[in-house]
Amino acid sequence: MSEVQRKKYSDQEKNNIFDNEFMPHIDSMYNFGYRLTFDEDDAKDLVQDTYLKAYRFINSFEQGTNAKAWLFRILKNSFINDYRKKSKQPAKVDYQEVETYYNSDDVDYGITTDLRVDAVKDMLGDEISNALNSLAVDFRTVIILCDLEGFTYEEMAKILDIPIGTVRSRLHRARNLLKEKLRSYAQNMGYKTDEDE
Amino acid sequence: MDKKSTASEERKLTCKDVSKCFELLESILDGENLPNSKEIMDEKLAKCAPCFEHYHLEQAIREVLKTKCTKQNTPAELVANIREKIQEIK
Repeated sequence: MSEVQRKKYSDQEKNNIFDNEFMPHIDSMYNFGYRLTFDEDDAKDLVQDTYLKAYRFINSFEQGTNAKAWLFRILKNSFINDYRKKSKQPAKVDYQEVETYYNSDDVDYGITTDLRVDAVKDMLGDEISNALNSLAVDFRTVIILCDLEGFTYEEMAKILDIPIGTVRSRLHRARNLLKEKLRSYAQNMGYKTDEDE
Repeated sequence: MDKKSTASEERKLTCKDVSKCFELLESILDGENLPNSKEIMDEKLAKCAPCFEHYHLEQAIREVLKTKCTKQNTPAELVANIREKIQEIK
């Protein structure tokens, strides 16, 4: 919420923006919250908190700009600043550790996974969801934003406060990790991978 | 776009600059507008086996994520709770 305060909206304008630009994204927001916390109540709290902040800081939102990206940024910041701090449950991989270890933009795109297209297409929804959910939160987040919510690299860079190069490399690493998970599911399903041959 | 009908024998079995090519293909699949991307992609898919395979695997991954990931239903009371809280701070 570092945006410059542009103008003050009237109460009527605030209600219009809230109803017509913010509320239509509630399902995406809830799903994002749930995929970050894996808990219904925590997801509800995060989303409610996000909408309250959005209303409180509505004057820093420019009407007609990307409300969804603006809301996602607030939710992500609330998750990091509020939820993660008070959560007693340790994350599977520590956020800072991931940042330090993986934040280099220098990524080798040449590494391939011996996973077959047919095997991927035959995956069940639960397998895809479980594979995604098993990724560390930073990697999970970029996949959610890009593949599930359809944000562009530029929008993701703004939501996550990271350079576009980092978005690209993190996304690539996230998908490679996901492919590794899917590859082990594929092997369990009896699909042949190149490794078996 | 899909050149699957093209015989794979016609494609090179190795890619000279696999890292750069894969990065480009992934950016295209993610909807980034890059100059001449369609032409470059069509050429790579037609001529290079590793690029062809990587493109289709990456495309399949994106597709299953988009279509198969389970969605949570937003709890019915959430919208009402938010509106109630907003009334309190107004």
